[in-house]
Amino acid sequence: MWSAVKLVFLFVLATIVHWAFASIFSYWGLSVNMILAFAAAFCAVLKPACGYPMAFLCGLFLDFFGTKLFGNNAFTFTVAACVVYDLSGRFDFDAIPPQMVTVFGLTFLGGVLNSLLFWWFASTDMWPGFWSLLGGSVVTALFAPVVFWAVRRVMGKCVLSRQV
Amino acid sequence: MLPRKKSPKKHTEPGTKRRFILPVSFLLLSFLLMILPLEGFVSSVKAVLAYVFIPQVRLAHGTAKYAEDVSQTVRELLDAHRENRALKQEIEMTKLLASQAESILDENGRLTEILQLRPARRWTGVWAKVAYREPTQWNTVIIDKGSRDGIRERSAVISMEAGKEGLAGVVVEVTENTAKVLLVRDEDFSAAVYLERGQEEGLLVGSGMRPVRIKYIPLLTHVEKGDKVFTAATSSIFPAGILVGEVSGVREDESFQTALTVNVEPQVHSSAVKEVFVILGNGGRE
Repeated sequence: MWSAVKLVFLFVLATIVHWAFASIFSYWGLSVNMILAFAAAFCAVLKPACGYPMAFLCGLFLDFFGTKLFGNNAFTFTVAACVVYDLSGRFDFDAIPPQMVTVFGLTFLGGVLNSLLFWWFASTDMWPGFWSLLGGSVVTALFAPVVFWAVRRVMGKCVLSRQV
Repeated sequence: MLPRKKSPKKHTEPGTKRRFILPVSFLLLSFLLMILPLEGFVSSVKAVLAYVFIPQVRLAHGTAKYAEDVSQTVRELLDAHRENRALKQEIEMTKLLASQAESILDENGRLTEILQLRPARRWTGVWAKVAYREPTQWNTVIIDKGSRDGIRERSAVISMEAGKEGLAGVVVEVTENTAKVLLVRDEDFSAAVYLERGQEEGLLVGSGMRPVRIKYIPLLTHVEKGDKVFTAATSSIFPAGILVGEVSGVREDESFQTALTVNVEPQVHSSAVKEVFVILGNGGRE
């Protein structure tokens, strides 16, 4: 029960951080995706039975604020969760460089995948621009260690954690 | 009959299938969400979420606004730092100029003594703020200093405009804490002035809404637009050398004239007078 409360708290925090960062960095035209960093951190810290639904929910949350297509972010975030669980055998997500590299790659590839989904299902060009995506990925990657630290700090010792 | 051999079953790790069930089911679900028509349902959930997430949206935007303000404040601080450096340099330059002026004044004093001229003394006075303007008389102002501060009637008043000091007017009435100043444009104002080009003297008179004029300039004087006008040493009220304004034209509408009348654009405009410097002790003329 307490773990569920913690998860809800982290989810709410993720939405606030995502909106705040999106508002701030849109001034410089950067498409920052902090909620994806949170989803990656959930998958790095939590068991798959909890990590996949959390990533899916994070994506679904973004989908509710989209207009042209529904489910694309949920799809992208689930793919991102698959990547994180696949990498967790090879990467040590306790170290900062793997966290940053993973989040950078996921943000960039997530943007590409999203654009492809839009193009495929909605026949719409939603490409944010190469430099916008690259800059946004760099910024997200820079803040990723803080996100991972926060998620680990809150969820690290609960029953849903992989380390227990 | 030989016993039938059982064919060996392919060995699979327990949980391998289960490991793929979750991601595949979520991928399938999201794929279905993308292809199924869910407009009505999605709009209803969006409407609910819009209410649920209002505090978070506000909090996020508040954070973003705070961050924007921080960057603005940092920018202002940097600007202030740059301005501070420039002002410090300006102060140093001013100090240098002041020390040069000091030596020039000393030299001037020595020369005045040698030539046995009446020495021009430095202005001393008080700064005052315009406290009140009479609505019916825009060319008269009341300042917030009076006889308690040493102001007397017929004290000269100067003011700054566009970084230059200029003649603003004269004190005509004094109370203990206030004084009434007649500005240059007022019809009752007059002062002895001279033109910088040829040093010809005349009488400056205000004329209300019409341009300020200098009367009694010798007829054949060469006057050009832009010539500077200063208070003359012959004035009984004003110290010599206060900038009054610039020549804006010569009046040629008067026939049988025996002297020129010159229009002057005052350095200090009546509407711009906010702070004034009242010269005390008759401008060092006593």
